Amino acid sequence: MKVIPIYAEAGISGFESPAAEYKELGLSLDQLIIKHPNATFIGQASGHSMKGVGIFDGDILIVDRSLTARNGDVVVANYNGCFVCKLIDKAQARLLSASADFAPVSITPEDEFSLEGVVTRSIRLHHQSPELAACML
Amino acid sequence: MYALVDAVSFYASAEKVFDPSIRNKPVVVLTNNDGCICAVCPIARRLGIPKFIPYFKIKSFLHKHGVVIRSSNYELYADLSDRMMNVIGRFCDNQYIYSIDESFLYFDQYDSVVENWHHYGHKIRQAVWKETRLPVGVGFGTTPTLSKAANHAAKKMLGFNGVAVIDNEQNKHEILHRMDVENVWGIGRKITKKLKLKGINTAAQLAQQDPKQIRKQFSVVTERTVNELNGISCLSWDEVQSPKKEVFSTRSFGQRITNKEALRAALVSHVTIVGRKIRRQSSLVKKLLIFGSNSPHDDLYYKQAIVYPFVISTDNTCEMANAVSRVIDSIYKDGIRFYRCGVGAIELENKQFLQPDLFIPDHYNGKLMECLDGVNHRYGDGALQIATEGHQPKWQMRREYLSPQFTSQWRDIPKISC
Repeated sequence: MKVIPIYAEAGISGFESPAAEYKELGLSLDQLIIKHPNATFIGQASGHSMKGVGIFDGDILIVDRSLTARNGDVVVANYNGCFVCKLIDKAQARLLSASADFAPVSITPEDEFSLEGVVTRSIRLHHQSPELAACML
Repeated sequence: MYALVDAVSFYASAEKVFDPSIRNKPVVVLTNNDGCICAVCPIARRLGIPKFIPYFKIKSFLHKHGVVIRSSNYELYADLSDRMMNVIGRFCDNQYIYSIDESFLYFDQYDSVVENWHHYGHKIRQAVWKETRLPVGVGFGTTPTLSKAANHAAKKMLGFNGVAVIDNEQNKHEILHRMDVENVWGIGRKITKKLKLKGINTAAQLAQQDPKQIRKQFSVVTERTVNELNGISCLSWDEVQSPKKEVFSTRSFGQRITNKEALRAALVSHVTIVGRKIRRQSSLVKKLLIFGSNSPHDDLYYKQAIVYPFVISTDNTCEMANAVSRVIDSIYKDGIRFYRCGVGAIELENKQFLQPDLFIPDHYNGKLMECLDGVNHRYGDGALQIATEGHQPKWQMRREYLSPQFTSQWRDIPKISC
């Protein structure tokens, strides 16, 4: 994000704003939600099968490749040439949805399958974002 | 111990990171303007597709075999390169990034830390693959040139699985005697020809030459290469990264150009690129080569190149743009359909040693250039530009098979099915 920093000045007297020396204290969302920047990518959820864990159509997904998925984690996988977001059932080699409308999918040796990362955060956009508008169509 | 870590056909591999549908398909990447093939993924290599072949010559073959074609997506490659270099940098405290996909590591007094270089190499490979989904090859050697040779073995020779180590006479010989001399770092095409005439065909044979003799017949650079092959380090980081002696910016046009103003705009935009590059390495240009041509495949080949000497060396883009304006009438010719143009800073000087001229006061406008670079760095190239560059996108790159900007544009982030 490119921000043009214009700092508040106190009046016209020429005295520096007493707040000026605190200007470095802004919070960074990256710091909060991205632990491993080199291994993290950002994607967008498309579909309704993960409602049960609070991931809705159009949500932003933060995917960390450096983590090893544990059983039951929300993961992103390459399933037959497609990125999918599911719950991983390691014991039975299945991909589970978080919605009663979608049945579990078993991973067979014929399938092209690889884990791509663990979904560590998801972001709900309650107002439409102009940057992402093209994706919503 | 030195290591060279680099990506396996970086551009093609980068295309696969965010597009799982092409992970197991043959992929090739085209150069600027979709002219030539510049990267071939290992699967495509098995089909026998050579590098640097013009795209139009092999188009139907690619189509027949279902090869995926991509234009160069520099925004994506730059981002993935950053990530890859950061992951590699975790494994050594002395990293030198040599190019977009190559990185040297220097391990000083690591013997007590690293027990087995083979294992360490595989650890690097696995980490880069896991975190960035880019495949890399790792070569260890006791000199930079040997690490480069080991890297070549790791990626190209049978029996090495992405990692090779040269740390004793035996494994050194094993690799060097299987390595063609043309693949040795620093041995160019011309030197290869001469060496082969003398019966020196492999890297091992080159290593056996008397360095003094090689110096006489070739140069000090080749002598160093021989010493490096024998485990004597001659290259230091500073030399590896010494400033370029020439800086070029040149490109063929997406569409032919037939008017003077458009040609000038294209040349000025090349000047902008050259100016930025030479300022980055603190050089000044003394002589600027400015040229334009139609295609060698045209009926009558036309090429005009002019060397413009500056009275006082400069790194000021405005002055270089003025040089273009002064020579444009000599380069442009009515009726020629220009296909290619460019500029090259062919004689460079170190900024430190600039001799100011008593009679041309204050010609050096460093502040303005600093501002120009600063603004363009922050808001993207072209945010601030020279007016003569114009705003015609006509000469810009043709990128017909461009993949999305997965990591640099919100509208292009990967879609994940739920």
